[in-house]
Amino acid sequence: MQRIFYLMKKEFKQILREKLFISLIFLAPLGQIIILGFAITTDVRNLNLAVVDADHSSMSARLIESLSATESFNLVCILDSEKEALREMDNGKIKLAVVIPKQFERDLKNGRQPQVQAIIDGVDGNSAGIAMAYIGQISRKLQQEWMQKTGVSNALNQDLRLVEIETRMWYNPSLESVNNIVPGIIAVLVMMITAFLTGMTIVREKENGTLEQLMVTPITSMELMLGKVLPLVIVGFILFNVGILGAGIVFGLWMKGNLFSLYLMAIVFMLSTLGLGIFASTVSQTQQQAMFIAWFFMIVALLLSGFFIPIENMPDWVQALTYLNPVRYFMVIIREIYLKGTELLYLWKEALAMLAFGLATIISAAVRFQKRMS
Amino acid sequence: MNPIIIENLYKTYGKVTAVNGVNLEVRPSEIFGLIGPDGAGKTTIIRIIVSLLNPDRGQVLFKGTPIAGNMSFVRTQVGYMPQRFSLYQDLTVEENLDFFGDLFNVPKNIQVNRKNNLYEFSRLGPFKSRRAGALSGGMKQKLALSCMLMHEPDVIVLDEPTFGVDPVSRSEFWEILKSLAKKGASILVTTAYMDEAALCDRVAFIFNGRILGMDSPDKLVSQIRDSIYLVNSDAPHLLFDRVSKSGKFKGCELFGDGVHLTDSDEAGIETIKDILNTMAVSYHKIKKIDPGLEDVFLKLMNENSL
Repeated sequence: MQRIFYLMKKEFKQILREKLFISLIFLAPLGQIIILGFAITTDVRNLNLAVVDADHSSMSARLIESLSATESFNLVCILDSEKEALREMDNGKIKLAVVIPKQFERDLKNGRQPQVQAIIDGVDGNSAGIAMAYIGQISRKLQQEWMQKTGVSNALNQDLRLVEIETRMWYNPSLESVNNIVPGIIAVLVMMITAFLTGMTIVREKENGTLEQLMVTPITSMELMLGKVLPLVIVGFILFNVGILGAGIVFGLWMKGNLFSLYLMAIVFMLSTLGLGIFASTVSQTQQQAMFIAWFFMIVALLLSGFFIPIENMPDWVQALTYLNPVRYFMVIIREIYLKGTELLYLWKEALAMLAFGLATIISAAVRFQKRMS
Repeated sequence: MNPIIIENLYKTYGKVTAVNGVNLEVRPSEIFGLIGPDGAGKTTIIRIIVSLLNPDRGQVLFKGTPIAGNMSFVRTQVGYMPQRFSLYQDLTVEENLDFFGDLFNVPKNIQVNRKNNLYEFSRLGPFKSRRAGALSGGMKQKLALSCMLMHEPDVIVLDEPTFGVDPVSRSEFWEILKSLAKKGASILVTTAYMDEAALCDRVAFIFNGRILGMDSPDKLVSQIRDSIYLVNSDAPHLLFDRVSKSGKFKGCELFGDGVHLTDSDEAGIETIKDILNTMAVSYHKIKKIDPGLEDVFLKLMNENSL
């Protein structure tokens, strides 16, 4: 048992001495949080907008003002006809045109419903849908404002509110994708460090021939494996905390739930990633091979985790596959705990699935490792 | 009891037979050399002895205990230095020694004494805080040896320890081995260098997984009764070609210093000169020499391939 400690001591010396490792461990994750956090966004920002104002009234001016006041749209020009707007769209100058009809103000005041038309470039379907929703929100807000002003009976106003279907985003009220992405990035960080470095540090001993020397010492293969893996659990854990702090400091996103529940889940999650790293080390002769193998599994696991692509959007058979992916469960858990503060009690299904996959992965990897060693 | 006894050992990799019925014994406090070219099966035998490989047939007794089923006994007792010096390049000399001392559960106070002794005889003392990666080849080799001596094994197994090391460091290394043997360690060492074979107490020549001959270097050399002549030439390859095709000599081998001819009929130097002249090969010197281990090895190899 003491030998595990000696091996860990040696591992830490090596980790601290290797500049590449240090930067891989601390700089890469911070960079990732910052860059990915800002870059991976499904928010619509600065969509070029043209307004066709046929009414030229104070109310149409108010509508234009509201549209240009949001960060989502960038008012490029005010045009006179729909045709012009379509030409601009074809030229790629605008993505979105809002057409305000003649007598917009008069119709509104008289209680008739004027039809405002939104023309959206649907090439990027996601943004189009979101832009549509934004416009809906803005127009509803204005409608209420005007209803009160114009003194159209309060009863009508109430009616409107009764009938109106209002979609409200609860845990991510501003619909900001950062809230969803950042916990995901923290999960990815833990995964990368533990899966990559485990594979690499074990194979490095193979490459340098030190493994052969180590094996002809009293150390058992179990001690060897633990001594190699535990330092990375610690490093992964530190990194996890760096990620949590980074998310809080850079994005102001602090965890709602219990930190220790998340710690516990992170450790359960690491069983799978460490297992992957150990497995990669048993089939590789060089660090590059180990990295490539870990990379391959990681990418597939990430794509099927719901990190960027919602699982509900996938075909059924792919959805079924995602149930075999431990990352999927951790994504749910970390987001639930982070954003909703969900108690662990309600996440037992995911936790159990993750534990089962984790144990299966690490035990089979460990058995393979032991066989290779003897 | 002999510390290493190898009985009837076989090992194949697919269709290649790496070890083909090897028997040998390393006696207490001797340096035993396993000599042969690359691919002869030396490393395979070594790796079987240190329990890293399982033989197909036969057995190895390590200090009287069969290796099969007693892996941890061998691994705690043996001092093994693999083919490539395996130390941690990013750890210092001292950290490497400490690490191996720790792994073998050597108490700290004893470690200090041993380290000092090892520094002294390896002359690594002044470099103890230098990273292993920044050492010269000869120093790395001595460090690897020192690491493996931290637990003071009395059976030492070295696989081509001097491979790729300069001649001065090599002879220094062999001095160290001799002093270890004098203190009672039994040493099994492999090498492809014939000059190192001469430094062993006993050697075994190995080729294609088979032992061709085994004895002390002197006795092996004395097997050669015929006179050997060294012929120097500007075109040794041409000379070797023509002479060996002529079949006029029992032995004709190309060496680094020229061509060695075996004069089994005791024809004498003048007759040899005449024969060479009739073949119209040019040479500038010919003299009788004492046979060396390499002559023995080549002779045994030729006899075996017949």
